[in-house]
Amino acid sequence: MTHIALDAIVKNFGAVRVLDGCSVAVDKGTVMTLLGPSGCGKTTLLRTLAGFVEPDAGRVRVGDRDITDLPPNRRQVGYVFQSYALFPHLDVAANVAYGLRVRRVGRAETQERVRKALDLVSLSAFADRYPARLSGGQQQRVAIARAMVLEPEVLLLDEPFNALDAKLRLSMQIELRKLIERVGITSIFVTHDQQEAMTLSDRVAVMRAGRIEQVGTPIEIYDRPRTAYVAAFIGRANVLAVDVAAGRVVADPAIAAARPDGPAWLVARPENLTLEPGGEGAGWRGTVAFSTPQGATIEYEVATGAPEPLRVVTLRKVGEPPLPVGTPVRVRAVDPAACVVLEDGPDGA
Amino acid sequence: MSRRLSPIDRVGRVVLGALAAFSLLLLVAPSIIVVAISFEPRGFISFPPSGFSLRWYEHVFANRQLTDSVVVSLWVSLATAAIALVLGVPAAFASVRGTFAGRSAANAFLLSPQMMPGMVIGIASLFFGAYFAFRASNTMLILALSVFCLPFVIRIAMARLAGLDPRLDEASANLGAGKLETFARVTLPQMGPALVAAAAFTFIEAFDNVTVALFTSDVRGRPLPVELYYLVQYDSSPAIAAISALEIGLSFAIMLVIARTVGLERLGR
Ligand SMILES: Nc1ncnc2c1ncn2[C@@H]1O[C@H](COP(=O)(O)OP(=O)(O)OP(=O)(O)O)[C@@H](O)[C@H]1O
Ligand SMILES: [Mg+2]
Repeated sequence: MTHIALDAIVKNFGAVRVLDGCSVAVDKGTVMTLLGPSGCGKTTLLRTLAGFVEPDAGRVRVGDRDITDLPPNRRQVGYVFQSYALFPHLDVAANVAYGLRVRRVGRAETQERVRKALDLVSLSAFADRYPARLSGGQQQRVAIARAMVLEPEVLLLDEPFNALDAKLRLSMQIELRKLIERVGITSIFVTHDQQEAMTLSDRVAVMRAGRIEQVGTPIEIYDRPRTAYVAAFIGRANVLAVDVAAGRVVADPAIAAARPDGPAWLVARPENLTLEPGGEGAGWRGTVAFSTPQGATIEYEVATGAPEPLRVVTLRKVGEPPLPVGTPVRVRAVDPAACVVLEDGPDGA
Repeated sequence: MSRRLSPIDRVGRVVLGALAAFSLLLLVAPSIIVVAISFEPRGFISFPPSGFSLRWYEHVFANRQLTDSVVVSLWVSLATAAIALVLGVPAAFASVRGTFAGRSAANAFLLSPQMMPGMVIGIASLFFGAYFAFRASNTMLILALSVFCLPFVIRIAMARLAGLDPRLDEASANLGAGKLETFARVTLPQMGPALVAAAAFTFIEAFDNVTVALFTSDVRGRPLPVELYYLVQYDSSPAIAAISALEIGLSFAIMLVIARTVGLERLGR
């Protein structure tokens, strides 16, 4: 059941169109991640949902209510700011208690809930510190606790973990995920970290220049990118120009293509390609331009005459040396079904 | 410092130091001389004083007309500071955060009393009052002084407001607070030191203002500066010095209280 629906949101800042008919729907109790390059409008989209940005067109719905015209303080949409936005004149406990005080929650209950929230983000020892004397990661956790303590139905987090070290990040991700599930919060995350998007979210939305390019489960997005842009943005991908004839890719007929005959683009993950020295038959011919053994894998760059070299990652047996640079090789898809053939190229042309 | 200074730098330093010392002397010397003179035991002003006595202080405190005028001045200054603050802070808020048409015009208008000599404000208030058949009174004085002091408050408050993070207001709204509650819980507390500064400067400014007061104050119940203005015309005893010394003491006391409570270095913030 859809809980959050942003419908064809348009927002211009002066002459710049920052959101360009952007639509997102998030199911109740699920986590959606917004991924996209810097400046593509992720923060602006969240701010529209929180009510800080008035859209020029489009509607915002939460549950069965249209909240487009509701002021921010009546929206009950939790928000963790990219810049934390802690109150500098209040200590950590008072920052976390802020929303409860505004709601006139009783003193004992406030104390108890603040204590629990601080526990959750492992900051109990810092309750009477002021924000100026906290590290970036600690401030970030206070900001999370301040939003979570209200147990909002909808929670928006703008890069909530970017200031945390790897270990803390993982434990916070897990804790937050558990909490979100327990309380049944519907949430939208912004992150630049694909790993985080993969672990944390039920669905990923890839944004591009004020629009949603593709929405799907993390695996769908990874395995079945609908555009070369998505493919290149999530993980690493080879995007190569190919010809299609009779529903097959000419260079490697093992790969099926539901496209009309003619030029097309093939997206193949480096780990879905393999190479063998010399050899006749189907595949892309080239020479090893670069190789780096990485322990369990070997990364190759193969020059094929195309502008970009092909990236290939193969499994490596212990003691196996990589093929030397200059070796003529043939590159093929490991699983032809996992290659995607697209109409549009890397620049969306 | 191990760095060698070039001869030009060295000369520059000496000149700069001399200038600084000279300005300090100019600023402080009159106050020191006034305080010294106030302890003169004889009936006329001389420097250095010929001895030490508190005679003129006793004289001042025994003068009902003077002590009454001090009380008037205290009330007038307090009321002025209160009015200027109550009007100035919201005005500054609207000037900095508002998005209404004509904002910069409104802003310029609110700051305009600063461009005007106090005398003009005093005379204008007098005529304006006369038009509505109000006589000069301390109520009129308070109103005129409030207009005169408003720009101080607005300037200080605006500077502070402009330095506040607007995201904090958004955070407060997001946590459920309305505009007024956000102002009370987030904006105002952060402006605290700036408001204390504004109140102190307004108070001091109102306390020793002559130009506005001369035209608008009550004929009976004059404030201190006006009382002094008339006093010096026939009295040249060290009593004047004693009063001045007391005023210097009051300014010091105010600064001291501020330093102890909010800290002088935080005033600008
Ligand atoms: N208040 C504003 N006034 C004018 N331009 C703005 C405003 N807010 C955002 N923009 C512009 O809108 C575009 C999108 O900004 P936004 O903050 O939504 O990007 P983002 O996807 O969150 O980027 P990042 O990953 O760097 O945080 C940017 O080009 C930005 O300069
Ligand atoms: Mg952003």
